[in-house]
Amino acid sequence: MSIAQPATKPAGGLRSKRHRGDDFAAAQEYFHSRGWTDGLPVVPPTPPLVSACLEWALMPPGQLIGIEPVRSRPITAEKLAVNAVMAGCLPMHFPVVVAALTAMLQEPFLLHGATASTGGSAILIVVNGPIRAELGMCGSFNALGPSDRATTVIGRAIRLVLLNLLDARPGEIDRSTLGHPGKISYCVAEDEEGSPWLPLAEERGVPPGASAVTVLAAGAPRQLMNEWTTAPEEILDTYASEIRASMRHYSIWPGNYAIVVPPQLRAHFERAGWSKADVREYLHRKARVRRSEWRDCGKGSVVGDRGEREYAAFESPDDVLVVAAGGPAGGFGAVIPPWYGNKSRAVTMAIGACVDCEA
Amino acid sequence: MAIEFLDPTHESGAAALAPAKRLASLKGATLGIVSNGKKGTKPFFDAFERELKERYGVARVVRTTKSNYSAPAEAEIMSEAERWQALVSGIGD
Repeated sequence: MSIAQPATKPAGGLRSKRHRGDDFAAAQEYFHSRGWTDGLPVVPPTPPLVSACLEWALMPPGQLIGIEPVRSRPITAEKLAVNAVMAGCLPMHFPVVVAALTAMLQEPFLLHGATASTGGSAILIVVNGPIRAELGMCGSFNALGPSDRATTVIGRAIRLVLLNLLDARPGEIDRSTLGHPGKISYCVAEDEEGSPWLPLAEERGVPPGASAVTVLAAGAPRQLMNEWTTAPEEILDTYASEIRASMRHYSIWPGNYAIVVPPQLRAHFERAGWSKADVREYLHRKARVRRSEWRDCGKGSVVGDRGEREYAAFESPDDVLVVAAGGPAGGFGAVIPPWYGNKSRAVTMAIGACVDCEA
Repeated sequence: MAIEFLDPTHESGAAALAPAKRLASLKGATLGIVSNGKKGTKPFFDAFERELKERYGVARVVRTTKSNYSAPAEAEIMSEAERWQALVSGIGD
């Protein structure tokens, strides 16, 4: 075997155990054999690469990012950086990873439940603010796919963190029945420049001009299409219908649904003077089902005597996450459902924010 | 060329939580069942409770349900559990 574990002394304050491989290929096999990757190759997290991430973020290796409460598992900046490097992150990407994980560790996110559940959600990360341009993030073509380097590696870093720091491996802590491809990487930058709408983070209380992430434990995107109207109400009826389908087929409980609106559809809202607040208000009113609808989709046995009871997708218009993103052509859109109702709440966190710091 | 790299795992070793001491017998014991609250748990635990009493001589079965099946049991449940000799944490779909 070409791998050894030398007992070298910590350097630069890094405390992680060190491993050594004869070459790049040997290192890859070592990671795969230990279950330390998502199945893709990784960048070997060498001490200089990890230190560079920490230095960029001005973080000492031992800085506590947070503690996963269910398992009392502390997560340090060093361990986060190791996994970010593995995912392909450059130092300048690292602050986004820090902010995303910090947001995920907030109590309303219910990280353990969201990552362990059979429901199989992934962590959707929406990035706002000037850092998008600094990192070359693209909220245009292929916005929900591999659109650019930064969003791909940041999303992947979060998955590797869950694998390696919280043991969320399939069949271990991660009990997903199916999961979905977003569990490899699920990060999108909002197209702020292409839209007059308020950025998502600003709608959720982050000051204008600040960079931020919003994390959501989310199912796979459900793509829709409506190229046959210019009326905002009709376009939103298509979104509401998709949300209702998710309520009927998956979970009826209210939660944070994200809707992704590309430019071709956005143009109709802009011409009609509809703000994101108008969109949220409309969807709050329209995305509702009755329990009796379960009879139409094979769930009649659980309708009971509550058939006429109405269920809203959103407890409040504030629960709708409206994201401007997508390529310029195509009357498409997407609904991204929450993992499971409001058990996990979307959390928005400014990048560089210090949680629990004294004022 | 040899590459030195850092361990990506939490390295915290064995879990800080050790398994509870095993009981030699369930006879006469008070046993708690903490359900995650899903619909399927009810008939399963009904049958389970009968088996515990009839086959193993459990004296009393306390049935509790978490308010959120994706979150840990509430402090009140864990506090009550200290009075039980055994606990079954059950999930069901």
